Amino acid sequence: MSASSRRVLAATATSALLLCLTTACGSSGSDTSSGGTVTLRYAIWDAVQEPALQKSVAVFEKQHPKIKVKIELNAWAQYWSKLQTQMAGRTAPDVFWDHVAYFPQFSQQNVLADLTPYIKADKLDTSIYDPKLLTGWQQDGKQYGLPKDWDTIAQVYNKTMLEKAGLTQDELGGLSWNTTDGGSFVKALQKLTVDDNGKHPNEPGFDSKHVKQYGLALGSANGQTDWWDAAVQNGCKLQDKAWGKWTINQPSCVKAIQFVQDLRLKYHVAVPASVTNTPNGASLPQVMARKQAAVVWDGSWDLNAYQSSMKGNFGVAELPSGPAGKGTVYNGLSNALYAGSKHPKEAWELVKWLGSQESQKIIVSQGSVWPGIPTLNKDYVAVWQKRGVDVSAFSKEAEGTTVGYPLTTSSATYNVKVQDAFNQVWLGQQSPKAAADSVNEESNAAIK
Amino acid sequence: MIDNISPTKTFPGGDGSRRHPAESPPSSTAGHRRGRGRIRATLEAYLLLAPSLAGLLMFLVAPIVGVVVISFFDWNLMGTPRFVGLANYREMMGDSEVWRAMRNTVYYVLLNIPAQTVLALLLALAMNRKLRGLKVLRVLFVLPWMAMPVALGIVWSWAFDPQRGVVNQFLALFGVDGPAWLSSTGWAMPVLASVNIWQYTGYTMLFLLAGLQAIPESLYEAADLDGAGTVQRFFRITLPLLRPSMFFVLVTNTIGSFQMFDTVYVMTQGGPGGSTDTMNYHIYQQAFQLFRTGYASALAMLLFAVILLVTAVQLLYFRKRTIYDFS
Repeated sequence: MSASSRRVLAATATSALLLCLTTACGSSGSDTSSGGTVTLRYAIWDAVQEPALQKSVAVFEKQHPKIKVKIELNAWAQYWSKLQTQMAGRTAPDVFWDHVAYFPQFSQQNVLADLTPYIKADKLDTSIYDPKLLTGWQQDGKQYGLPKDWDTIAQVYNKTMLEKAGLTQDELGGLSWNTTDGGSFVKALQKLTVDDNGKHPNEPGFDSKHVKQYGLALGSANGQTDWWDAAVQNGCKLQDKAWGKWTINQPSCVKAIQFVQDLRLKYHVAVPASVTNTPNGASLPQVMARKQAAVVWDGSWDLNAYQSSMKGNFGVAELPSGPAGKGTVYNGLSNALYAGSKHPKEAWELVKWLGSQESQKIIVSQGSVWPGIPTLNKDYVAVWQKRGVDVSAFSKEAEGTTVGYPLTTSSATYNVKVQDAFNQVWLGQQSPKAAADSVNEESNAAIK
Repeated sequence: MIDNISPTKTFPGGDGSRRHPAESPPSSTAGHRRGRGRIRATLEAYLLLAPSLAGLLMFLVAPIVGVVVISFFDWNLMGTPRFVGLANYREMMGDSEVWRAMRNTVYYVLLNIPAQTVLALLLALAMNRKLRGLKVLRVLFVLPWMAMPVALGIVWSWAFDPQRGVVNQFLALFGVDGPAWLSSTGWAMPVLASVNIWQYTGYTMLFLLAGLQAIPESLYEAADLDGAGTVQRFFRITLPLLRPSMFFVLVTNTIGSFQMFDTVYVMTQGGPGGSTDTMNYHIYQQAFQLFRTGYASALAMLLFAVILLVTAVQLLYFRKRTIYDFS
């Protein structure tokens, strides 16, 4: 071999090696199997729930020595973009959290595996689940996920601040609001709101520019933890029917939105939107940790976030009642199996495990989320009782008037439009009617 | 004499006719003069180039061609693409949100580029001295450019927090009630621009500083003898001879500003009321939140056309006036 041809050979080898480095030679890219072990990818969006899940997954790995599970955490804001891009590239995680807002699209696009054959083969008893949750993940007689949890919205409050204002948990949960003078709810919040000079919003000389402590903090990118609840309490329906048209611009809805805007801009009892708006605002647990507010409306999934920053100094009361009575948004998540998974058998084992009594007991013991298996609800209450918090408001509300998360194929459009329009409503830059009209129109145009 | 310096062209694609003979491309080693050797040499060269060429083809050329093709389709990434001809382009023309995004983008560029360039030039002039400690300062100025834009966005969001943010606490010292920066349709964009100016001024300064240091001292000495003052020296020598570096930073920074994404994504997500919805963020939203890949591709083509036009204007302007040969 001459010197120059050796050089050509060397160059070839070098470029081949470099190409390998830049393009992941030979590996499938999705998951690696080594020595008979399979690594499953499991995508979730809530960092607050991750520690409890880690505990459950550790037990699963012990029981299945040939399966490893890698939890992939992507925040809610990026979760769906990332998941759908991965689905398009056929590299989605084997198992992932699913949400009713995106479930319809997914079942249309055939990216979810039908669990029915697996359930039949393993003779899985699905009667242990809350039927409402189980049927939520069905379409055309196919089961596209097993219930992971359920959630409602309630009032999380700062114990010290509530005592100072002379209010009890039951009183807070028994308040009512109306659209003329705000009702007893606004009166209570006025007691809880103090400016730098110790004055309340209903006193002369109150300085709304320098408020030390607000009565209430509200925040939501889509409405679930603020105006949707007020809407239910005012007898408003977000849609004319499931899978139907959005109807958020009818008077009962607009009045509820107006009331939520009034809490900030007219009564000055709620934290300004510039502090709570997505994306530059603080999360509700952050607002509570900073002692900026006495009460927040938040979902049960955030309980552990309050526990970590307020250790026992918080409680949970029911949402107030509106002109039409009580009401809350009721929702739940499922664990779904990706139809394109390279290891469907192992992935099913994980989905089955996450839906099992044993796993949900572990999640409940961590106080993480309400279980998809109703018989474990009392255990969840007991766990929080031990921590000095009575969380029964969430389950009491679940038995009362609830509205499900809107079922629609236009979630993506709705989510994009609602954030910008309603951020402006809370800032006082747009009227409730104009925002409701535009979001309604654009979301309905996107229904497939 | 300065007036006699003749312009030379060394643009890529320029003819480079005035190249000095000594600067002709290095010939391959003497052993490769005969035909076979030359082929082998060429082969060797291409083999060595192969990895970067493959990378270029796969990660640059292919996606660009892809975007052009996809822009004629209606596609949500999942289903089968449907050919729609020019429908995406027609929709784009009548889409008020697109034009709003374009206006926002141009506004952002105008806020950004002049301020950044003037600041960077002043800094470069200040740094162009042989003083102790300036090296440390230079590094400090460039630090923001090395940081992650997303992390910076989060930190700046805290700084501009209306109640607890550093910015408003500072203003409160002087009895000024600062606005809710990122929640104001008027302030949000200037805030984004100032974050960007803060981030890239040091980087721009580096290039201008290199340009300043390439200007031969002898020119200034000659100007001194001719009795030119500081102002005259700046406008007659420094600025004209800085043109190559100026050209580079202006073109690259303008392109970069037109493509601004991460700061918007982290700090405002286009809000409030779409006042910070820039072209690139709008494209992202259409493509990865609404999954209108075809439409997003058409928007990308529009942005490309606008950037191409602006860059062409800049090229033409500088081409006539730029001097590269200081000898």
